[in-house]
Amino acid sequence: MTFVHYIRWQDVIDILLNSYILFRLYVLFRGTYVFRVLTGIAFLWIFQRISVYFGLILTSWVMQGITALLALIIIIVFRNEIRSVLQAKNLKAILFGFPQKSDPTTIQTISDSVKTLSKRHIGALIVLPAKENLEDVLKGGILLQGRISKEMITSIFWSDNPVHDGAVIIEGDRIAKVGVILPLSYKSDLPSRYGTRYRAALGLAETTDALVIVVSEETGNVMVAKNGNIINIHGSASLTKILKEHMGLHEAESGSRQQEKLKLGIAAVVSFFFITGMWFSFSKGLDTLITLEIPVEYTNRKPDFQIVDASVNTVRLHLAGSGALIKSLQPEQVQVKLDLGHAVMGRNIFSITQDNITLPPGIFLRKVVPAVIEVTLDETIKKELPVQVDWVGELPAGLILSSVKIDPENVEVVGGKRILQKLSTIYTEKVHLDNLKESGTIFANLALTPASLNIASGSKDKARIAYVIEHRAK
Amino acid sequence: MKLKYILIVILCLNLFFPQLLFAQNAQHPESGATQKKLTLDRAVMCEDIKDFAPQNPAVVFSIKIGKVCCYTSFDPVPKKTFIYHKWFHRDSLSTNKRLYLQPPRWATFSTIQLRETDIGPWRVEISDQNGKLLYILRFSITD
Repeated sequence: MTFVHYIRWQDVIDILLNSYILFRLYVLFRGTYVFRVLTGIAFLWIFQRISVYFGLILTSWVMQGITALLALIIIIVFRNEIRSVLQAKNLKAILFGFPQKSDPTTIQTISDSVKTLSKRHIGALIVLPAKENLEDVLKGGILLQGRISKEMITSIFWSDNPVHDGAVIIEGDRIAKVGVILPLSYKSDLPSRYGTRYRAALGLAETTDALVIVVSEETGNVMVAKNGNIINIHGSASLTKILKEHMGLHEAESGSRQQEKLKLGIAAVVSFFFITGMWFSFSKGLDTLITLEIPVEYTNRKPDFQIVDASVNTVRLHLAGSGALIKSLQPEQVQVKLDLGHAVMGRNIFSITQDNITLPPGIFLRKVVPAVIEVTLDETIKKELPVQVDWVGELPAGLILSSVKIDPENVEVVGGKRILQKLSTIYTEKVHLDNLKESGTIFANLALTPASLNIASGSKDKARIAYVIEHRAK
Repeated sequence: MKLKYILIVILCLNLFFPQLLFAQNAQHPESGATQKKLTLDRAVMCEDIKDFAPQNPAVVFSIKIGKVCCYTSFDPVPKKTFIYHKWFHRDSLSTNKRLYLQPPRWATFSTIQLRETDIGPWRVEISDQNGKLLYILRFSITD
């Protein structure tokens, strides 16, 4: 039970949030192929963790690869289903809603309409989509978005209506589209009595999870195609039952609701345990250690103060966490900040505590070396200093550098008072003598040491060096 | 009688305003002291001193020559005094030499022996016995 001590409130939120996300995925995608593939990925991941636990290197590696690949494939292959879920529902419905069951009166209206169509021998093709998006398989059609009624359905399929040959798409209590062309079944073993309307119904039922009602113009027979099968319907009651099943409504209403609630409850519990298991798998043990050398950032320094000395520029952090988190840890994610807001001029001593260190979630600080940092602050002043050339190398034999004139002779330098008090000369960067054979002029940058020094605005940061070379007297 | 009054006036003037009569004479010693102020006539860095004269004055010296000299000559030297040659390697004092001067004029020099660690920019501050800075010579010791 020692792990309980490591669990923070952030971890509890982490688990609950992800459990809810998983539960919502179940609610939104259940009954579709997406959910089946997601379940498959989950099993693969569990299998991969078991492989890791037993030290099956190759198996775990392969499982990891397949899981990653499947996660990519699911987005590409099931993009339509994902899109239909995300597009069809508003944000509130995606986050908190539960799938709305069709109104029983709609089912009754459809059933009554089909009965009338059958009696009058009016051919009809009615599509009731389920979870899958039909956009890619349907062709043509006219957008209607009209509220469903027996009269409307009957009039759409009336032989004089220009769109009577196509199918109608019913979404909820509305007729979404009319005159839609469905894909035909390519089955070669269909009875010869099945005409184009039947082939179209079967074609859609083979490729999607939609339910298609077919009314024969010749015989008035009613058939329903679903999941690649086509069945004869005898009577309205039978059709109503099938429609209710398709739309998630059952005869025993209260029992069904109880069952539905139970299913969702189980899904919620499974989501919670699955995510908790994943969390422990990621953060298990905190047994992996890492040492990072992190630069110290100084913040809130007063504008007229400058840092002239610090005992260290970096600190070594001994960090602990799960292997997975430690492996993915980047030094940029870790920060060490020292607040100089209350620092005074001169020597300041700071203890590095947890408050100074920013770590990603799940990574814990074990030790800081050094635990104390000494920072010396100084007042910023200006000082005029003479410029001197820092010659290096050797002149060619027989020559001497007899005189030098520097422009500017003095420069104004801005820096810490303590540093500038000790400085009496500003040197140029090293100027090489080796190639100098006769008198001339060269330019050299001024070397500011320490780096906290700056040339005051208005002063030149480059020196013009006019030199005279003479032959050595024998 | 007239001469007597003139003498009395002169004596009174002398009593109350003596500078009017002897001002010109009084200025002479002061004027002489100004003229005889210790004056640095020449200051150079050189490789050696030969026959009381600097050899190969320069601003860059190779460490191979083994030594470097700071030559200074003063004219006039009003009285027996001394000066300082303060040798700085970068900004740290390396040595401080005290050198005596004799009237009426004097030339003197200080020398340092060069070591490998002496490579870099140098300066010699020449100051009088009161520490008043008279001149700064800047030079470099190179490979």
